Amino acid sequence: MIEVRHLTKRYGDHLAVDDLSFVVEDGTICGFLGPNGAGKSTTMNIMTGCLSPSEGDVLINGHDILDDPEGAKRTIGYLPENPPVYPDMTVYEYLTFVAELKKVPAKEREAQIETVIADLGLDPVCDRLIRNLSKGYRQRTGFAQALIGNPETLILDEPTAGLDPKQIIETRSLIRELGKTHTVILSSHILSEVAEVCSKVLIISEGRLLAADTPENLAKARHRTELVVTAEGAEEDVLRALDPFAGEGRSGILDLTRESEGTIRVRLAQPAGEDIRGQISRALFEAGCPVVELREEKEQLEEIFLELTETGSIKEEV
Amino acid sequence: MRAIYKKELRSCFTNMTGAVAVAVMLLVFGLMFRYYNLYNGVLTFHYAVSNSALVFYIAVPVLTMRTFADEKRLKTDQLLFSAPVTLRSVVLGKYLALVTVFAVPVAVMSLYPLIMRALGEETLLWDYTCILAFFLMGCAYLSVGMFISSCTESAVIAAMLSVVFIFATQMLSSVFTMISASALTALLFLIILAAFAALIVYLMTKYAVLGIAAFAVLACVCAAAYFLRPDWFSGRTESVLRVLDFSTHFSDFAGGVFSVPNLLFFVTYMAAGVILTVQSLDRRRWS
Repeated sequence: MIEVRHLTKRYGDHLAVDDLSFVVEDGTICGFLGPNGAGKSTTMNIMTGCLSPSEGDVLINGHDILDDPEGAKRTIGYLPENPPVYPDMTVYEYLTFVAELKKVPAKEREAQIETVIADLGLDPVCDRLIRNLSKGYRQRTGFAQALIGNPETLILDEPTAGLDPKQIIETRSLIRELGKTHTVILSSHILSEVAEVCSKVLIISEGRLLAADTPENLAKARHRTELVVTAEGAEEDVLRALDPFAGEGRSGILDLTRESEGTIRVRLAQPAGEDIRGQISRALFEAGCPVVELREEKEQLEEIFLELTETGSIKEEV
Repeated sequence: MRAIYKKELRSCFTNMTGAVAVAVMLLVFGLMFRYYNLYNGVLTFHYAVSNSALVFYIAVPVLTMRTFADEKRLKTDQLLFSAPVTLRSVVLGKYLALVTVFAVPVAVMSLYPLIMRALGEETLLWDYTCILAFFLMGCAYLSVGMFISSCTESAVIAAMLSVVFIFATQMLSSVFTMISASALTALLFLIILAAFAALIVYLMTKYAVLGIAAFAVLACVCAAAYFLRPDWFSGRTESVLRVLDFSTHFSDFAGGVFSVPNLLFFVTYMAAGVILTVQSLDRRRWS
């Protein structure tokens, strides 16, 4: 379990992290979401002991990162934003060095390195100098480094940055797999990634926590779905048919565009938890306006995220 | 510590720096031995050792410039900081690796007195005292070079600063004769030192007021002491600068005198370099 309490980091007058508190329970994959410069990397660097906080505590599996750094670091595998690899070593040499550095017993070293190499598909580049590897393989070597020593907790700073689409999919499934046996915290500014992989999302902006919940709950809490109706017919006829669904003073009609001669597209707010598509379709048909298109648009995590990070004070609502 | 030590040692020889440094040192030692002892028939080894000191200008920057500057540049320091090891053991591991590389040519150099003995020379103890002093001086330079490397992100800047440091500490003894021993000179010199100290205080804390206050207090203390006890100040410039004078501390050994204070002088530099490196890395985390 990871507990972060009232974490603050100041760089001169600049507040990089501002009174951040959260808890990540064992066995969760937690996504750390925020725009660039939100303080994600700073927070992760503090959690792993690379930086010291100005104020606040970090407890990693019961060890305080400042009072018992070695105990805490023993349980963490950390993949920083830039994979910390030495260009003049081969992948195998590098992983051996990391295993020694993390005090993996000599007997287990080889087996562990082999496992990690297999997990990350590093076999083909095992004996190549890291300097000659592509960005994707470097990133994977950095990831392999984090897994060495079988840490209970993995802290991954943008683990899929620089990978190609196939590798991204592989890495995500690896993270999901690892999430079954490890506590994982990963940062990302790719929302679909977080929505897909994580069981908990922490949204931060300007160093402050804006929301902490499951992706589903976050989406539900905003409860807004919209219907896009395109129908043929005169504008008045279509609107009249939609009147029963449009709320008072037609406030439910969010947008209205004339597609072409005799075709109208209406964007309609749908009440939470109701599906009124059938009723709308019937009403329009009865009014003599055939429906050309009718689709539901759910608010994506993307929009929630944008809304949260732009307005900046939604924490209480969620 | 072992992991770091092994890794550093290997990387010294995979990226050429170690090989270059060892080769240059062997070349210079060999040339000096050949020139003084074999060609000119000098009966002791100390001329050869003393004149070999110029290899430090190349070997020390080459060996030390990358130690921590490169870790910072490649961001691999995050691996070291997040690993379950103390900063002290990281620094010691690296330092011992540097010392080991340096010990290789010195070990070869230690064979030369044996060759001279075979040719009938009898000052073996003196020769080895010289070599010991040379080794300690090198270790002190490596320690300072490592500290310099930990203060910057650029290996080139680290190398240049090491060369400046070596130059200053080697040339200082020849400058002493030009410095006036008067008390007023000493006062001015101490005030300049106070300004430096204040600058360091400012750079460490980023509080200009604190730096100015430190300077004011130090300068006032110096001035007050000057008016109360001017005699105490005469010749002070030299005695303060002595702490940077590597060559004099070395030449006592080279003259054949085994002295513990001189030994401690170099050991102090070695320890100070290591401790300051740990501090400088730790400070980076807090800044």
